[in-house]
Amino acid sequence: MLSRGVKRKLEDDEEIMAAETSGAFDSSSSLPYPQQRQLVLNMCLSKLQSCHMKVEPSLHRSVLLANTLRQIQEEMRQEGGESTLAAIYDGSSCTYNGGNPPATPAHNPELHSLLLESPVYPNNSSVTDNTMSSSVSAILREAGFVEDVNPAPACLGCSDSEELCFSSSPSYENDGDEQPVDSRSSDSLFGSFEISNSTSYLTDLALDDIFEDIDTSMYDSSDFSTVMSFPVPRSPVSSSEDTMKSFPTCISPSSNGIQICITDLNDLDHIMEILVGS
Amino acid sequence: MSCVGSISLSDIISTVEFNQTGELLATGDKGGRVVIFQREPESKNEPNCQGEYNVYSTFQSHEPEFDYLKSLEIEEKINKIRWLPQQNAAHFLLSTNDKTIKLWKVSERDKRPEGYNLKDEEGRLKDLSTVTSLQVPVLKPMDLMVEVSPRRIFANAHTYHVNSISVNSDCETYMSADDLRINLWHLAITDRSFNIVDIKPANMEDLTEVITAAEFHPYHCNLFVYSSSKGTLRLCDMRASALCDKHSKLFEEPEDPSNRSFFSEIISSISDVKFSHSGRYLLTRDYLTVKVWDLNMENKPIETYQVHDYLRSKLCSLYENDCIFDKFECAWNGTDSVIMTGAYNNFFRMFDRNTKRDVTLEASRESSKPRAVLKPRRVCTGGKRRKDDISVDSLDFTKKILHTAWHPAENIIAIAATNNLYIFQDKVNSEVH
Repeated sequence: MLSRGVKRKLEDDEEIMAAETSGAFDSSSSLPYPQQRQLVLNMCLSKLQSCHMKVEPSLHRSVLLANTLRQIQEEMRQEGGESTLAAIYDGSSCTYNGGNPPATPAHNPELHSLLLESPVYPNNSSVTDNTMSSSVSAILREAGFVEDVNPAPACLGCSDSEELCFSSSPSYENDGDEQPVDSRSSDSLFGSFEISNSTSYLTDLALDDIFEDIDTSMYDSSDFSTVMSFPVPRSPVSSSEDTMKSFPTCISPSSNGIQICITDLNDLDHIMEILVGS
Repeated sequence: MSCVGSISLSDIISTVEFNQTGELLATGDKGGRVVIFQREPESKNEPNCQGEYNVYSTFQSHEPEFDYLKSLEIEEKINKIRWLPQQNAAHFLLSTNDKTIKLWKVSERDKRPEGYNLKDEEGRLKDLSTVTSLQVPVLKPMDLMVEVSPRRIFANAHTYHVNSISVNSDCETYMSADDLRINLWHLAITDRSFNIVDIKPANMEDLTEVITAAEFHPYHCNLFVYSSSKGTLRLCDMRASALCDKHSKLFEEPEDPSNRSFFSEIISSISDVKFSHSGRYLLTRDYLTVKVWDLNMENKPIETYQVHDYLRSKLCSLYENDCIFDKFECAWNGTDSVIMTGAYNNFFRMFDRNTKRDVTLEASRESSKPRAVLKPRRVCTGGKRRKDDISVDSLDFTKKILHTAWHPAENIIAIAATNNLYIFQDKVNSEVH
């Protein structure tokens, strides 16, 4: 929607407010820098998530928005600390639209590298920083970066799960070590990836959601959960090899290179026997 | 500059292009239609009537399509038209929407054969018993008819949206560029194209840069340039390798740290790139400036012109209403001495590279009365305000001039303002005043 430049007519309250804040931004002395940044962040997120289009959204626009978002995120990360993060969630709650919940570690391949270095979460901020980057990645995916994906169902998933997503984030923030598996909301988002995404099916990082229905309550301890969601073929970093070696029986590489953790050794032997036919 | 014509089309104009002689002017619109204008030949009787452009042909180039795999519509909007150099009596042009490029043949028919032996005048077969003698059909003049037919359809080669097409100087090949890839085609072959640039990362989530425009060098058939959303230009040589992912030259200006803002990257995205007619220089347009680059100097442009610097303090509002993503085109005049680009409020700007003078003109109903002389406009940014100045806050951002074209030889320009096409001519001066 194009507004008539900076000259505003009396229309929606919302429009006036939004315009006034961006107007306030433009006369830069009025708004302090963190609030300016917050405003831009909010607008970025809302623009990236307005996917109610019949025509494919412009990749050029999405990339520019994503870069701006990353830039702000990087700045905020450098300033560091939970207080900043609270500001992100606090400020963005109204525009976050349940686009993507901050993904839980179990479902978050972005945490791969972080978790390998420190399997036990040292503090909230480092984990949730990566959560933010994973959210950005997820938003980019949704914005249509992945060519085979149909964004429309994902968006329906967004709006439906808005309530769930929003309610899950504050609880996640507080409980750093626990994993609130918000399987319903992430399922509705990634579900569309599964159905429509045939060619990258095997390499899609959201594949691990297929295994949601496996009862993971036994594996809530950090050791096992860290290895559960290893993403797709990456050349193993030496630290990862060390970590993997400590769980030799837990990791069985499949033909696609996706490693699945089967912790019940008896079951594994049993299955092997059946397969081998002895 | 005075107005020689203004035409109102039925849809928003999305591209404007003169052919190599300037005799024909093609426009494409959002509805997938192409309208071709032809310049009336100069008549000795009325010297003032020289050079009016009249409608020559109209046809539907592209239709809306539906991508069933993604459940998304493919717009029929014409993104670019490029004429092929004329090689025979017919004219050829390439037109493209987001996904498919088409080659159209535009030919004239002004004679018709009459006197067939086996068919009558309506084309019905004659009863052979009535044929008593043989006659040779003769060509008789008829009313001029312009026939347009699609000769080639180049489809299914682009996953992303095609933003540019450019015909090579060899007149046999052309390239089409989308957000991440550039393909090279042979004009006669539609089932194959060669990928010459691919900037798609292995992981799409690492994507930070897209291709925004691309063009072949005007006479070196091995060289082409493409611009990116990060404000860089890459000159590539097709002789170097089949896949031109490594550029021969990278043109990039270091960012001015004093101008840094949240929107720095967005406003540095190049929306158009054009080689000069001489082939020595490049013209680029980003959100606030036009820049001239020398092919021999990569680290900065040789000239930078401010198009509407008064918008620099309004970037947040322009970001909010999406205007910051508008893609303006730019153009050289025939001698590469003047450059032109569009702006908001139906203003367009011209910069004389020699005298360093610039002018702002308006394409509007008032200025389009026949023979009306265009009056220079001024945007006032505070400070002393003159009569007829427009203040920044009164600018109409819905009236944007994105597409402009300059006649290859004369001082005639075509300006697309939403639905309206304006043609202005400077008869008296060869330079811009």
